[in-house]
Amino acid sequence: MHTRNFSIGAGCALIVAATAAAAPAAAPDISGTYWAASYSAKLAVVGGGEPPLNAAGKAAYDKISAGLKDGSILDKARRVCVPDGVPRVMASPYPFEIFQTPADQVTMLFELNHQVRVIVMDRPLPKLEGLITDLRYNGHSVGHFEGDTLIVESIGFNDRTFLDATGLPHGESMSTVERIRKTGNQLEDVITIHDPEFYTRDWQARFVYAARNDVRLEDYACNDTHRDLSGVRGVQRK
Amino acid sequence: MAKKTLSTLAAVALCALLATDAVGAETGAPAGLNLSGPGVAWAGFVAPKESNYQIARTFNDYSNPVSGLGPVTDDPAHPFVNNEVAREMNLQPTYRVADLNNEAAKNLMPWVQEALKKQNELALKGRNGESREARCFETGVPAFHLNPGPMHIIQTPKEVVLFLAGRSRHIWLNVPHSRNPKPSWYGESVGRYEGDTLIVDTVGFNDKTFVDSYRTPHTDKLHVVERFRLIDNGNTLEVAFTVEDPGAFYKPWSGTRNRHRVVNPNNRLTEAACAEANDDYFNIGLEPVPTAEKPEF
Repeated sequence: MHTRNFSIGAGCALIVAATAAAAPAAAPDISGTYWAASYSAKLAVVGGGEPPLNAAGKAAYDKISAGLKDGSILDKARRVCVPDGVPRVMASPYPFEIFQTPADQVTMLFELNHQVRVIVMDRPLPKLEGLITDLRYNGHSVGHFEGDTLIVESIGFNDRTFLDATGLPHGESMSTVERIRKTGNQLEDVITIHDPEFYTRDWQARFVYAARNDVRLEDYACNDTHRDLSGVRGVQRK
Repeated sequence: MAKKTLSTLAAVALCALLATDAVGAETGAPAGLNLSGPGVAWAGFVAPKESNYQIARTFNDYSNPVSGLGPVTDDPAHPFVNNEVAREMNLQPTYRVADLNNEAAKNLMPWVQEALKKQNELALKGRNGESREARCFETGVPAFHLNPGPMHIIQTPKEVVLFLAGRSRHIWLNVPHSRNPKPSWYGESVGRYEGDTLIVDTVGFNDKTFVDSYRTPHTDKLHVVERFRLIDNGNTLEVAFTVEDPGAFYKPWSGTRNRHRVVNPNNRLTEAACAEANDDYFNIGLEPVPTAEKPEF
């Protein structure tokens, strides 16, 4: 009996090995619904302090934040519901869902204005030069797993978005790297922002979400009533 | 010999289990209704090699059911020229004018007919002729299906998600309807696989959408059943639907919308920014895009 089990096991190892040679190893499962427990309009810098704006960045930030206050600059993501951009979409106080099927992509679907981010798992990061006619709000993303961590590289952002709700600026040449990891019932996304046009150095922000497979994503339409967010700290409905 | 075959089969089955991708990669779909895959999308329209008026007319419209009452269609006195017909036939595109005299129109309750009559008058004056979809509104069901672009579908054991033109719908599998679903744009969809057919039952709609691009209104009593199945050797996704609404239509009516399998790994699901550059630049009475008076949070 013991021998027989062993032989099945050995045969299986061979088949699994053959499968592994043909296809990449099974990816860690980070699929499911997630919801942040807190919201901050202002992006917090990992390690503390203010975002390391350079002179151009300071000038842009002053102009945008003043414009958002006096209404001369429209926060289009909130007013007409165009996508938020990265990382602002990751700061959403609404739940979002991660799918890992089909296997060649990781798809994030956000309740907030049903935005999507597709993280392409079987291609290298495209060159920015090739994307200049297709710059996107949420950029172009590719990913791969390193152990239990999904590494997401993004590039090709248009400059119509802000990094956060206060109007923190970025340029079209911004690139980001995110390290997304699930531990227990928590998902963490640490994003590194590289944008020498507006910042003196690379810097990081961190988002934490609770796994909430008990929650169904709801419809979201601009200028409609939306779900109760009283469970999310720091959200002030206007 | 038979025993050995059996144990080999068992071993292969066990290996298959062990070799299965992570839980998140399971689709839960029957083999005959696998709607997703690398680069797979379902185009609402694929232009034929040679111009064909009848096919071009299906560009962004429902097709009639095999039998029974169908959807509202265009007035023969004002045939609708969609963008594809215009392109293929070298015609000027028109706005939609609904036929208010055919069987489908007789099935509409008076307030619905009245609404269409008003809309027809506007359209004939060249005003407010864009579909709700073109004005960036959520489309509702079954109008969700009308966009001719590629639909991407994600299947998991828990739900089926339909993505089309920046909009998305969730179909929750193998669960009953909630007792009092909160009224919403796409309603509450619950589904189940029956053989190789996905049957979706949707209730709990708000009354802010139209059931078609003629702007046929409905009430919150709208109830839609959709049947998704593959035909044509798996190359066509047929969505056959039945609409009932005791507040708007005397009898249920049906329609179909076929989508065509396209495979292109370079053409993935992508973001949409409908409201960007969508103002009424030429002052032709376009419905304003949905706009929040102030940021929500």
